[in-house]
Amino acid sequence: MVIERKWKKWFVFYIPMAVFIVFTLFPFYWMAVTAVRPDGELYRTWRQASATPFWTLQPTLEHFEGLLRTTAFPHWLWNTMLIAMVSTLISLICGMFAGYALARLKFRGSEFLGTAIFVTYLVPQTLLFIPLADIIRDLHLGNTPWALMLTYPTFLIPFCTWLLMGYFKTIPKELEECARIDGATRFGAMVRIIFPVSIPGILSAGIFAFTLSWNEFIYALIFMSSAELKTVPVGVVSELIRGDIFFWGQLMAGALLGSIPVALVYSFFVEYYVTGLTGSVKG
Amino acid sequence: MKDPVVAGAGVAASIAAPAERGRVSRLTRWLESEKLLATVLLVPGMAILLIFIAYPFVMALWYSLTSIRVGDPGEFVGIANFAKAWNDTVFQLAFKNTVFYTFWATVFKLALGMWLALLLNRSFRFKRIIRASMLLPFIIPTVLSAFAWRWMFDPTFSVMNWLLYHSGVITDRLPFLSDGDWALWCAVLVNTWRGMPFFAITLLAGLQTISPDLHEAAALDGANAWHRFWHVTWPLLLPVTLVVVVFSVIQTFSDFQLIYVLTGGGPANSTHLIATYAYQVGVASGLLGEGAALSLFMFPVLFGVVWFQLRFMKRMEGH
Amino acid sequence: MKRRKFLKATGAGIAATGLAGVLAAHRAPVFAQANTVHILRWNDFVPAADKVWREVFVPEVQKALGLKLNVETVNANDLPARATAAIQSGSGPDIIMLLNNLPHLYSAAAVDVSNLAGEIGKAGGGIYAPATQLNTVGGKWVSLPWAVVPGLIAYRKSWFEEIGLKEFPKTWAAYHEAGKKLKAMKRPIGQTLGNTFGDAPTFTYPFLWSFGGQEVDAKGKVALDSKETVESVRFLVQFWKDAHDEGGLAWDDSNNNRAFLSGDISASLNGASIYVHALNNADKVKTEKGAPLHTDILHAPLPAGPKGAHAYHTAFNQMVMKYSKNAKGATELLCWAHKKENYEKWFVVQKGFATGPTREWEKHAMWNNDPVMLPFKTAPLGQSRLMGFGGAPDKKAAEAWNKYVITVMYAQAASGKMKPEEAVKWAAGELGKIYT
Repeated sequence: MVIERKWKKWFVFYIPMAVFIVFTLFPFYWMAVTAVRPDGELYRTWRQASATPFWTLQPTLEHFEGLLRTTAFPHWLWNTMLIAMVSTLISLICGMFAGYALARLKFRGSEFLGTAIFVTYLVPQTLLFIPLADIIRDLHLGNTPWALMLTYPTFLIPFCTWLLMGYFKTIPKELEECARIDGATRFGAMVRIIFPVSIPGILSAGIFAFTLSWNEFIYALIFMSSAELKTVPVGVVSELIRGDIFFWGQLMAGALLGSIPVALVYSFFVEYYVTGLTGSVKG
Repeated sequence: MKDPVVAGAGVAASIAAPAERGRVSRLTRWLESEKLLATVLLVPGMAILLIFIAYPFVMALWYSLTSIRVGDPGEFVGIANFAKAWNDTVFQLAFKNTVFYTFWATVFKLALGMWLALLLNRSFRFKRIIRASMLLPFIIPTVLSAFAWRWMFDPTFSVMNWLLYHSGVITDRLPFLSDGDWALWCAVLVNTWRGMPFFAITLLAGLQTISPDLHEAAALDGANAWHRFWHVTWPLLLPVTLVVVVFSVIQTFSDFQLIYVLTGGGPANSTHLIATYAYQVGVASGLLGEGAALSLFMFPVLFGVVWFQLRFMKRMEGH
Repeated sequence: MKRRKFLKATGAGIAATGLAGVLAAHRAPVFAQANTVHILRWNDFVPAADKVWREVFVPEVQKALGLKLNVETVNANDLPARATAAIQSGSGPDIIMLLNNLPHLYSAAAVDVSNLAGEIGKAGGGIYAPATQLNTVGGKWVSLPWAVVPGLIAYRKSWFEEIGLKEFPKTWAAYHEAGKKLKAMKRPIGQTLGNTFGDAPTFTYPFLWSFGGQEVDAKGKVALDSKETVESVRFLVQFWKDAHDEGGLAWDDSNNNRAFLSGDISASLNGASIYVHALNNADKVKTEKGAPLHTDILHAPLPAGPKGAHAYHTAFNQMVMKYSKNAKGATELLCWAHKKENYEKWFVVQKGFATGPTREWEKHAMWNNDPVMLPFKTAPLGQSRLMGFGGAPDKKAAEAWNKYVITVMYAQAASGKMKPEEAVKWAAGELGKIYT
């Protein structure tokens, strides 16, 4: 490391870092405060004075309670989790296979296919969901979790494939060749040599795919109609904006609870995520 | 998660039962052919993409050429829908907004993300937890965080107006979402807030592949921090940067959720993006054909941008 | 055996899981086969009314009809999107609530309910004329009117008295003057001009009419670009600047409720939800002097312009969907819910926020409980015009309504983005594209 003077460190490091932290985290803080503030305190206009603008002395759990009692929130959480996991799994398997094929195998049209897969990523969702609704109807998937588990991979597979392709390319060919000399089949070498050493890359693709599915909104809004089958983002938007007039407390409580599972996944895997990305960006 | 299946495959492939050995080994021999193995490996992914993207894409193309409305298949109208969209002032505005939004959000995400990555690449206390918490905006669902921002921008209850008003900075509140220009900039801000961590973490990953020796050497040569960044770090990061920018441009250009929640396209349609306007026309008004045509306008632009960037990347790889 | 396992492992696994999904989906209708009806409604601005559906109707319907009723409520702004998706994917709620004249937009996907409408009308002393226009297409009833939510101005009695007004202004000009004084006291009028379903168009359409502007002429030709319309826009621009809370450009249907209840605005066009909330939470919602806020709220109709006073009251209709596998059950449900003794349970908790679909409900004893709510009782009778005025409230009128053309016209001028003449030209152009 290049040595710095102390005062300089304040200017180039501590202060900018602090600003970044405030900018990044303040909305979450505000979400949390809003979620525990009683309604009477919540609705103070910008002109009214307030003794405790940035915290509250009477924290309440009424919003959380209301959320869990009057909505199917636990269902939404579970659905989102299940759908995100299954679609991530499907996309990872497809992405690993396709990524390997495109990175390691020689066949005609491989470049074209690679580009084609990438191009599918460009097709906007707002264009697809109406025709997709027809397909979902024809397959009798309407209002079942499978409608989402099978459509989410459409935007996950291209991403996984490309990320893993980059990762696989960085693995030395010799590793595979050694295994082949020892009598492993191509498939066997892929499964037992390439995939295990690519765990960081696979994990980071998986985490990314999981986040994208957790985040998805349009398909879930359009394809799911029963209250118990909704995902968190859709449930929160469609059922918590209500004529109750006072819905912000519950809305923020829902946003907070709905974010915790993904946040946990990340806090466990963030280092893998960085190293995984490191691997693929090298390629 | 995937291990049982994959391990099962390995076992099945290599230790086949003697009675079936002949058949399995024929299969494995087949799979030794690169072409066949590639086909087998590509089929599942391609199948999903064909059924759930290629086919609906073709259908959407057809829709865009017909007068289909909800519950009424309509008839072939040629490019009438495109012509209508082209002359639609709201669409023109939405198109302009989309370009504006994508451009500025990407610029800010890149600049701030790079800065943040450089900061996070240093060693400091609580590094792990700070790195993890910096990712939060990126991982929580956009609609949920957009609601938090909408609440902070609320015309009547905005905490920011409260703070500025009571600290004497302003005498009248700022029209965050109630003025068209402000609202669009607010959307850029929220998008930047959301996307910056992805840039930062990915660039951080890139930074970690750069050997510190290079910096030491440059420092010994008397290069200052800015020169070290510009001449050492930036060129090495360029490939990663391009990848992130490509992904970000795609995401931002076709963004829907953020505007849908934050402004719903208002005030006076001034923050509509192509996606939200297409949604309003196609879904809320049931004019499926026109909605499809509006969405399709996104495709060539995205295609152009990405093609250009991919070309650029290829050229760099060549060097 | 091994081969199957192998195939599965090589990725046919994906296909297999997909297949399992299809199979599961085919098995799922076991649940649907049971006599269930799924109804999609808005999140009622009087939450107690949703409770009646969930906690009273559900068990009673089970008993009376043997139906399992599934009530889903969503944000009213999302209703058309859900209807489009459901119709397109052929699966979804059996009954969908559609506001205003949206039934015209979705009529192709509706079950004919003319018989039922006839019965309801006969039993209830006649369905209101506007509701008939909104729910019939080509002489056929495509949906049933459930309720009308009148839009009246809720205002702070004491604040208007402070500026010397014993009565609510009767003309826009007088209202403008009053608003000017109120805004100077930091008590502006609150009105949304945002892209939202209720309070925005129910203000802008009557406002336009009261100046003599109209969307189309009797022949269905766009007639918006008139000197009357320009005059109305010009008036609003000044009115907005002098008397309104400018944040209203970004409001949805609930913002004015919150602003009113926290004492930030002096008046707002609204359903009675502000008052009903203040009434139901009298101990929490107070005026700045500490009295219960509801004692300081009164209701008044929209003031008159040069061409008279007008109003638009939001209609709530329910459509039985053609794709439904249980259209019979759905129709039975509506028939049951419209029966006087059942409908009444829902009607009374509304406290007047929603009025009934037929004349009979004007006579209900509930109206004697609270004089403040009295203006709502006969409000539906005062409604002489519907969207698309000049012409019929048809599909095209619905499209213009859904695209917020009239509201955006005013918003663009009020925000200073366009001159009044430009805004009117723009809106007339937009209407021209719809009415081709």
